[in-house]
Amino acid sequence: MSPLATVDSRRRRFLAAWAGALVLGTAAFTLAAAAWRTLPHPHPLEELSYYPSGRFLEPATLGHAATAADLAWLRAVQYYGQHRATDNQFVRMAHVFDILTTLDPSFLPAYFFGAFALAQEGRDFPAAERLMLKGLAANPTSGPLAFQMGFLYYVRPGGRDLRRAAEYFERASRQLDGPPESARFAAFCRQNAGELEVACELWARVERTSPNRYLREIAQREQARIREAVERGRREQAMRRLTTPVVLLKRQT
Amino acid sequence: MIPLLIARNTFREATRDRVLAGVVVAGLALLALTQAASSLAMGEGRRFTVDLGLSGISVLGLLVILLTGTSLVAKEVERRTIYNLLSRPITRPAYLVGKWIGFSATLWSVALLLGLALWGLVVLRGWGGHGLAVLEAVYLAGLELSVITALAVMFSALSTPVLSALYTLGFYMVGQWSYDLRMLAEKLPKELGSLVAVIANLVPNLPLFNMRTLAAEGTTTTWLHLALASGYAAVYVACVLCLATAAFESKDFK
Amino acid sequence: MQTSVASIADRQATGHPAAGQTVPDPGLAVCVRGLSKHYVHSWTLRVTRGLDALDLDVRRGEVMGLLGPNGAGKTTTLKLLTGLLKPTHGRAWLMGEPVENTASRRSLGFLPEQPYFYDYLNGVEYLELAARLSGMQAATARDRAHHWLGRVGLGERPRLGLRKYSKGMLQRLGLAAALVHDPELLVLDEPMSGLDPFGRRDVRDLITEQRERGVTVLFSSHILPDVEMLCDRVAIMMGGRLTRVATVGELVEDGAQAVEIRCAPGALLEIPRHWAGLVSRTQRAGESVFRLEDEAQLGEVLGWLLQAGVPVRAVTPQRPTLESLFLAAAEAERERRQA
Repeated sequence: MSPLATVDSRRRRFLAAWAGALVLGTAAFTLAAAAWRTLPHPHPLEELSYYPSGRFLEPATLGHAATAADLAWLRAVQYYGQHRATDNQFVRMAHVFDILTTLDPSFLPAYFFGAFALAQEGRDFPAAERLMLKGLAANPTSGPLAFQMGFLYYVRPGGRDLRRAAEYFERASRQLDGPPESARFAAFCRQNAGELEVACELWARVERTSPNRYLREIAQREQARIREAVERGRREQAMRRLTTPVVLLKRQT
Repeated sequence: MIPLLIARNTFREATRDRVLAGVVVAGLALLALTQAASSLAMGEGRRFTVDLGLSGISVLGLLVILLTGTSLVAKEVERRTIYNLLSRPITRPAYLVGKWIGFSATLWSVALLLGLALWGLVVLRGWGGHGLAVLEAVYLAGLELSVITALAVMFSALSTPVLSALYTLGFYMVGQWSYDLRMLAEKLPKELGSLVAVIANLVPNLPLFNMRTLAAEGTTTTWLHLALASGYAAVYVACVLCLATAAFESKDFK
Repeated sequence: MQTSVASIADRQATGHPAAGQTVPDPGLAVCVRGLSKHYVHSWTLRVTRGLDALDLDVRRGEVMGLLGPNGAGKTTTLKLLTGLLKPTHGRAWLMGEPVENTASRRSLGFLPEQPYFYDYLNGVEYLELAARLSGMQAATARDRAHHWLGRVGLGERPRLGLRKYSKGMLQRLGLAAALVHDPELLVLDEPMSGLDPFGRRDVRDLITEQRERGVTVLFSSHILPDVEMLCDRVAIMMGGRLTRVATVGELVEDGAQAVEIRCAPGALLEIPRHWAGLVSRTQRAGESVFRLEDEAQLGEVLGWLLQAGVPVRAVTPQRPTLESLFLAAAEAERERRQA
């Protein structure tokens, strides 16, 4: 007699159901894996990219704009990594970072990362500039943001904008949370932009205020160099010839 | 035959419920609203209409499942109307399958009704090129709702209406993230990655049924996609109903 | 009662009959052997015995009543037979089919206690559904639905939604649903529940009608006069166990016939010591009443009263009712449990 014949019909149905579940579950697993391998994955930023603006998206988050910004941040970083590893095409990046920073204007890393990614890999300096200016408008007293803005101008691909860089470094140095190297960077930029008198004043301030002996020595040395160049009438001797920044994108292996 | 009888009864129950009528009205109102609001969308009116229309079908369908579908079996057990059925010569699997067929048919009716309304709107507005993509997206949305219905039937057979709704919603949400889970599984260390991959396979693979953005752009999908989605939905539903049967078979009705 | 089922001794040896090795007597509509239902509490693991080792046979064409107080196991028994509960031990067959098979319910009509129905349907729709689920074709189901709706007194408004039905109407509808597919076995849990006296009379008539058609009826009830009137046999259950199965006549005959002797008031006689416990006296307004527990002593007691000059007004035999037997059995069970 077959073993199943001794089992009542209810138990047979129970066992058959479990057997069916296992077989069908395996089939579902296989199909899902096949779909994952063969079909294009939904673009991680697709669900954001159609909104004309973050302004329309914010009401939809029902008070959870910051959380939505966090999730969008995860997606944005993922997007960057995926394209950095493959085609180096960042078509939607400006739009997405705009949405991100509209959802949460105080999310500073979004400005930093977004602007530099746009300027470098995205090859879209105007978009990077707009993003940082938006950040500064929303966070006018942020020292780090001003500093990064200065740095953005300093490393601008195709030609550094030393004047603007200096402007923002000085602004950063005036903020309470400004990085301590802001004044030094401002002085350096003014000096290499040819604004030697302003640079001298900035170096003097560094000498007065820096707690670091080494930095104070640098400040003294630069002031002496400027004074000597001005006295000789050879201003260019106080200026360094800086390289032109370029973007080198290599496919990651 | 018995499952079809129960399906017909379930369909009758669902269609006589005011919730469904409300949902259909809400869906049509949403489509009307997209037309009123599309002028504010700065040239993205077509995209706005299609995307919101398709999202509306999915969201409203989910709402119907959570409000009504999750108490399909639980309510019958609570009210003891199930005694009148299971004391007849019908098996418990036949009962569950019938419930799923009936409720799925209800949701397909809603999806088709709203989907055809959306398609009609798209054609009337002169965006006829988007028509096929919209229909494909509606079909996939119907498959998605069928999959979630199977989960709702299973949880409803095992638990109370409120808990069933929570479990169903939980699986829906994690199911929407199944692609993210798969990507995460690939990046994690082997053991943890395997665990995450298992979770990604247990939950329904809902991104497979999502071509809303493609449809908004007027892009049709491939036959491979439609075939894989249909096959996966059929197999996943059958698997879930088998599990529901296994659990329901040993349930006592005190 | 001849059966080819494994003997009780065998069952006790193995715990329960071996599956697939027993075939019930074809003359039995219901055959139950060692049926038990135990509930285990999820946290404390405490076992509650809803039903304990029930052996019961119901012959084809018989009307059997299931009596017992609340919690006796009547509904548990009926639900085990109809597949709504899974037995912990034991087996049961309906019309020769094991209850685990859906085929056992093909000829079954079941009325649960306090039935509920789909309130989005009307009477005809519900009965049609019930008939079709029991295997009837669509056209036949429709005809039967109309017939039975009328038969239970609900035919005047066939399209009335069930949410508008009263409790009594729902009970009638449930009965109609149990009968719509012409079952061979009716299992009814409290069929008179919620009905007024007219309704109860109609249900009694229905049950009698079905019996005359050869349908087997097994029903539980608290309304003892109805049980006395309808049942061929009665099974009394207490505390999850079957305590007694007998005809109503056997049950009441078992009880020793008492006699009540009504006399004129003021009969202040001392009852002889040898009749202590056998004869008792109560004073009522306008008379003295002597109660004799055993009618066999009637002649002696009457002789004693007449000799004492007591005017005897009436001698009335006290036939035990099912109710009194039932209460006595319940009391005996309670004492057994306390012991």
